[in-house]
Amino acid sequence: MRSPLHHAERTLRRARPLLGTLVEVRATAALEASALHIAIDAAFAAVERVQRRMSFHDERSDVSRINAARPGEVIDIHADTHEVLSAARTLGDLCDGCFDIATAANLVRHRLLPAPAAGGAARQPEPGVTYRDLELLPDAQVRWRSAGWIDLGGIAKGYAVDRAIDELRAHGVTSAVVNAGGDLRCFGESAPIHVRAPDEPSALLYLGTIENASMATSAGYFCGLQIENDRVDALVDPDRGTCIAWERSISVLAADCMTADALTKVVRLAPQSALGVLQCLNAQAVVIDRNGLRACGREWLRPPPAGSPATVLKFDTGRIASL
Amino acid sequence: MNPGARIVVLPVAAVALCPPAYALVYMSVEQAQQLMFGTHALAPLPLQLSADQIAAIERDSGVKVYAGSLRAWKADDGYFFVDAVIGKHDLITYAVALGTDGSVRQVEILEYREAYGGEVRNAHWRGQFVGRHHGDAVQTGRDIQNISGATLSCTHVTDGIRRLLATYAIAIAPR
Repeated sequence: MRSPLHHAERTLRRARPLLGTLVEVRATAALEASALHIAIDAAFAAVERVQRRMSFHDERSDVSRINAARPGEVIDIHADTHEVLSAARTLGDLCDGCFDIATAANLVRHRLLPAPAAGGAARQPEPGVTYRDLELLPDAQVRWRSAGWIDLGGIAKGYAVDRAIDELRAHGVTSAVVNAGGDLRCFGESAPIHVRAPDEPSALLYLGTIENASMATSAGYFCGLQIENDRVDALVDPDRGTCIAWERSISVLAADCMTADALTKVVRLAPQSALGVLQCLNAQAVVIDRNGLRACGREWLRPPPAGSPATVLKFDTGRIASL
Repeated sequence: MNPGARIVVLPVAAVALCPPAYALVYMSVEQAQQLMFGTHALAPLPLQLSADQIAAIERDSGVKVYAGSLRAWKADDGYFFVDAVIGKHDLITYAVALGTDGSVRQVEILEYREAYGGEVRNAHWRGQFVGRHHGDAVQTGRDIQNISGATLSCTHVTDGIRRLLATYAIAIAPR
């Protein structure tokens, strides 16, 4: 085995257009540049694999095959897809169904997603289908009880970041950040974190640092559609069965990026029950709106050092719903 | 009370950008050539597109062609391109390696520049956050790390690659 002491530590930073955004990998290791490039290539390849398996748009993906399947039909999927479906189910159960991957029909109706390609178009989802109608069977198989359409857009990006991090570690990288359009995870050295101001994406707010943690932020600033007088974003409220708009920037910090990614939607849709879910999953929420910034849950985020003149923002000890 | 159940207000140091802009440089053209083609020699490939070719590329790709944005090189085992796309708020320069059969081998972002016109709005709201300046990390042209919530679409990069593939098929492959 090559001793890492033979090479000076170096950092490389690369980005590729993946997952519908720019995915950036910043990696540090005491490796030759060529070996570090190979590690980053492997991280991008891991993201591409997740994209291929879990894309709503690619008709060969596991998701498309699930969306094309008839009730009762057993569908073989990759173990990774099964893992994401299983995590989505756990999360859905924890928040009484507010996180529901089977709401894709609403996104299609609002044209935030195109209708499923080819096979999927052959059948429509039955009304009222939820994630609970998709049975998770052993050996990486699933089966619909009632036919639905799933979209993993709210969770798979974070999962892809996690798999990229695994590859970097496996290749001897000692410190890294993977950032997929705002869903990021780091290990090794602590990483400074900025978020965009929700009302004005050009302004960046420095929040502090994180170490061996993940952070995902959801806000409506670059996506969404204007429909008549309302703006809608790619977020479905299962209770109302409709797409709604983000009004603020919601960040969630957690150990893994899949959890952070998915929990941003839970905090947005069910602020009343989000605190329990955050605690259960050892996560922290940071919400920025016109009243300022508030945080709750486990303290992953290390604020700027004491002594730096920091502004004390409006303090609200009320219910989390006031987030 | 469980300490995790408290809602706490974190001190936050904000950076109001004036002018709001930042840039990330991932690699130079030479570094991308080295990464994608190693020791294979690359020779510049002049691209003088005729009006007919430009019209055909735009028809084929559905993307507007800007004179001079695309640069091309040829190696014994493929082609190397550098192109730029302009979004609503950003300029992205990227490199693409094609195999000799015209298939995409690799795409790397070279540079990302973000710029917003106009003044920083809502100064009152921003005033709440102004505590300290995080170094000068976010001034024009400087580097900034780890923006969470930077959910920028890469649609225009995808469009650019489609235009590039159409350019290859119409203006290079037939040579």
